[in-house]
Amino acid sequence: MSVSDVVKADHLTPGAYGAVGGDPVRIARVTCDVVQVMARKGRAADVAAALLASHEVVLPGPGAAAEGRGMTALWVQPEGWFVVAPRAGDGVLAGALKASCGDAGSVVDQSHGRSVIRISGSRAAWVLAKSCRVDLHPSVFGPGRVASTQLFHLGVTLRQVDAVPSYDLMVFSTFVTSFIEALCQAAEETGYVVA
Amino acid sequence: MTQMFRMASGGIVDRSRTIGFRFDGRAYQGHPGDTLASALLANGVRLVGRSFKLHRPRGIFAAGAEEPNALAELRTGARREPNTRMTQIELYDGLEAASQNRWPSLRWDLLSLNGLIAPLLSAGFYYKTFMWPASFWEKVYEPLIRRSAGLGRASREADPDRYDTMQAHCDVLVIGGGVAGLAAALVAGASGVRVMLCEQDFVLGAGLIGEDEAWRSAALERLAGMANVTLLARTNVFGAYDANVVGALERVADHVAEPGAFVPRQRYWTIRAGRVVHATGAYERFIAFPDNDRPGVMLAGAAATYVARYGVHPGRRALLFANNDAAYQSLFTMQDAGVTVAGVVDPRADSAAQAAARARGITVWSASQVVGTAGSLALSGARVARIGSAGTDTLVAADVLCVSGGINPAVQLATQSRTAVAWSERLASWVPGAALLPQFSAGAANGVTGLREAAADGARAGAGASGAPADALGLPEDRPSDVTVLPFWEVKGSGKAFVDIQDDVTADDIRLAAREGYKHIEHAKRYTTHTMGTDQGKSGGLVGAAVLAEARGERVQDVGMPTFRPFTSPVTWGAIAGTSIGKHFAPTRLSPLHEWHVKRGAVFMDAGQWVRPAYYPAPVDGDGWDSVLREARAARRGVAVCDVSTLGKIDVQGRDAAVFLDRLYTNTFSNLPVGRARYGLMLREDGIVFDDGTTSRLAEDHFFVTTTTANAGPVMQHMEFYLQTVWPDLDVTLASVTDQWAAMSIAGPKARATIERIIEGLDVSNEAFGFMAVADATVKGCPVRVFRISFSGELAYEIATPAGHAQTVWNAVLEAGEAFKIEPYGVEALGLLRIEKGHVTGAELNGQTTAADVGLEKMFKKRGDFVGKVLSQRPGLTDPSRPRLVGVRPVMRGDQLRAGMHLVESGTTHSLGWMTAVTRAVELEGWIGLAMLRDGVARIGSRMQAASPLHGALVDVEIVSPHFVDPENARVRV
Repeated sequence: MSVSDVVKADHLTPGAYGAVGGDPVRIARVTCDVVQVMARKGRAADVAAALLASHEVVLPGPGAAAEGRGMTALWVQPEGWFVVAPRAGDGVLAGALKASCGDAGSVVDQSHGRSVIRISGSRAAWVLAKSCRVDLHPSVFGPGRVASTQLFHLGVTLRQVDAVPSYDLMVFSTFVTSFIEALCQAAEETGYVVA
Repeated sequence: MTQMFRMASGGIVDRSRTIGFRFDGRAYQGHPGDTLASALLANGVRLVGRSFKLHRPRGIFAAGAEEPNALAELRTGARREPNTRMTQIELYDGLEAASQNRWPSLRWDLLSLNGLIAPLLSAGFYYKTFMWPASFWEKVYEPLIRRSAGLGRASREADPDRYDTMQAHCDVLVIGGGVAGLAAALVAGASGVRVMLCEQDFVLGAGLIGEDEAWRSAALERLAGMANVTLLARTNVFGAYDANVVGALERVADHVAEPGAFVPRQRYWTIRAGRVVHATGAYERFIAFPDNDRPGVMLAGAAATYVARYGVHPGRRALLFANNDAAYQSLFTMQDAGVTVAGVVDPRADSAAQAAARARGITVWSASQVVGTAGSLALSGARVARIGSAGTDTLVAADVLCVSGGINPAVQLATQSRTAVAWSERLASWVPGAALLPQFSAGAANGVTGLREAAADGARAGAGASGAPADALGLPEDRPSDVTVLPFWEVKGSGKAFVDIQDDVTADDIRLAAREGYKHIEHAKRYTTHTMGTDQGKSGGLVGAAVLAEARGERVQDVGMPTFRPFTSPVTWGAIAGTSIGKHFAPTRLSPLHEWHVKRGAVFMDAGQWVRPAYYPAPVDGDGWDSVLREARAARRGVAVCDVSTLGKIDVQGRDAAVFLDRLYTNTFSNLPVGRARYGLMLREDGIVFDDGTTSRLAEDHFFVTTTTANAGPVMQHMEFYLQTVWPDLDVTLASVTDQWAAMSIAGPKARATIERIIEGLDVSNEAFGFMAVADATVKGCPVRVFRISFSGELAYEIATPAGHAQTVWNAVLEAGEAFKIEPYGVEALGLLRIEKGHVTGAELNGQTTAADVGLEKMFKKRGDFVGKVLSQRPGLTDPSRPRLVGVRPVMRGDQLRAGMHLVESGTTHSLGWMTAVTRAVELEGWIGLAMLRDGVARIGSRMQAASPLHGALVDVEIVSPHFVDPENARVRV
């Protein structure tokens, strides 16, 4: 079965694909809300204090993610973060964050604008290394680490979720079909499973 | 005659298994562990190709990447790969290969007559053909050169195999898996750092075969047990780039007939290394003497390799021509393996090895040289003469002539890393000097030879690269081997003495280049094609440099070498393209409504990375134009809906957001009320129009900017650039929300009647929601943002909604518009409508036009600066006679207009302008178009001709206002 048969629109058809008998990776869509929070000029400390109070998160610095109450904050730009949380209603997370930040921060809902794909398994880093220039070796990368990089010609926010390892790959939503196809094609050599 | 040259024992081929292969259609047998070259030699095949230019018969000359002659077309059909080195092709069952550059057959090559016209094919012949009558080039020289010169043929069929890429990181990269590389990897690996070792051969430690097998197997076993060490055999590092980034090609499945399922044939590695150890070995060099290219002439080390590694006699009777003692070991290896030795020819008066040879009963011609070879398609003997003697030469019978002029350390990758080289008098060759980057050279690549010394040098490099002590590494046993040479490059005489065997470059060619002024080594290289073949002059590069040095009256070391660049060995295009082929050449971008467009049967078109519906064919339509006109009529007369999700969208927030936009746009946004939108125009720094779009104010400190589809990325970059570098003091944040929001344009007289049925929480009447109003609402419970803006020139609304709701809202619009026979319209109808309206797009905003050129000069604010303002006032940009935007109609309404037509005064051929966009119209009869026309405004009302000489079209046209429809812009306000 070719990759374009597995990926219909941005939907993945469950099954096991690619090489058999090896150590397949698992590929899945992750449904979540994504909100971009950017500190206004000179207000980073206020944003940090506000989110610590409201979401119990210590906003992370470059290359890192931090867990808060029901959410994860990813550093993506100077004084700017993506806040990722399980999907709630339209604008609920963005509204809560705006209420917390007030005029100290710009809050932009990207829940529909960004899509997250998770790849996990002992060979996940090997599959990603077909395109990923970031060194994902456990000695230099690990759970809680974030990188803004390029995969398969596309800008990606990459976060290591756990030590399996699992990685969440956040891409622009209009590219997600193209991205998943390229990812699945890369994973054919190890085989991959869509749950 | 099955493998009549195969020894009964010896080497590491697996004699328990026999595999079949075909060369030039004929069946042969070999063993696993063979290369195509060793298997051919085992079968007594001596003639394997014809030379590039002169079509001289050629045999196997080397045993590795330096092979100049034995190039094959490997495999057949779509998998055919030209110019593969037979010395590197791993034999597999069913292998098929063909010799190259012969016609009609290898043995009877008619084009070998080229040898008779060889004086015409001297150095620079290619360039000289340009000097003769130009008409000769296309008709005579090019067809002739193309037929007679060349290497293998590429397959014309699509490659069925996949090629992949890999990005890798390591602390220590060891390039080369010979004895020095293995020692370096052992020491670095033991220290615990991440080590990678790349070896182009399919066997590691090949030089230890037949010498110290125990050390080799122990080393390989230890390395295999180190989890922190990655061993990559069949992997050639072909280039060194900045900061210890190297490129390597792994031949993953070239040693099988077809790669397994999902396995790539080759993998292109990009390796980022902390430290690099160059253990790349050395290439033996030859000596230029008359007819030194005859099949049977072979590098001495290669001949020994065929014996020791493959258990093959490269011939029955071997003669050695060498200027160094180390080469004698090759001969001794052959003698020990049962090859008859005809003797040694040595330009040196005496040496330890000469004495050792005599002790073995070998005839040694001291202070002598080979002045020619005998035989036709294979060597039958060599003519030997004393140096300086006027006497006759002696013909010595031999079917293999082993040549060694010394060794060239493989400094290619080191010098690509800008490591300077130093001249070694002992080797008469270049050795690496001090490295500029964290790099170490070791073993033969460092000029250190002998297994024991090379291993010690490798261990030292491995220690240096890993910061570990080089402790207790046992060293292999070896035999005395002295590579000190008497510099000896060429034997002058009658007959062609090649310095580049693959490219048919002779010593005389080098001298001719020098005489004709191409004295610099780089010029001589290009004039003669010396060192430009697949072997990149590994064996003969220095020989040619020495001939040039003599012609210049200088020392070799003062002439230098041509700059080494990637690739050290050829890399297939398939590997370079990798997976970025076909539809994966670039990512595609799809609207959230894409699936609906597919189901509706849309005809798609590419718009940059986007795939957009061009139009939606209906059963009633005779052709595409019927569809486009039907869709456009719906927008003009009823209602139609277009997916405009592709427009760029940027969220701009901050206390200074309005100031920021005022500085970027030619017009003002700080006085835009909340809840209103305004058209904006943006210039480049040089005053040329950059982009346009509408910007809405959602709150005092919050704007929503739209850009054209094509410029979404560039406008975002432009904004980021100004914010980060020019006005870092401004309190502004930017976020790309192109993907967050789907958008649809509902246009036509019935647009309001359509959307008022579905919009919840917003009064969209003209009074409450006038032209350019913006507000939030819901549709079927989905959040939407409604904009009363129009691109078509009709009453129109844009509805934006978070992408996940796009289908729900789109369906609601279609359902609500059903009563008015709503039609979806594609990019073609969108274009039709905008041309009728006279709105500009990328065809007019093409990076050459000013605001005035396209009739937008009124968009410039009176007060305040903006990007591009100063340079837009340059005389060249304010010249009133510049081409201006006009409309064009054919006088005969049925005449077709074409984009790109030139506008000329009737009866003349001087172009005064060009058509930027054309369409058949729905509001008017026939074709209309937009054009950029010199003195355009003044010409409105006049007649001209539109010409397309390409199509033989000449049409009488009227120059009119570009606003064909509703020039007062009344419809959008009803």
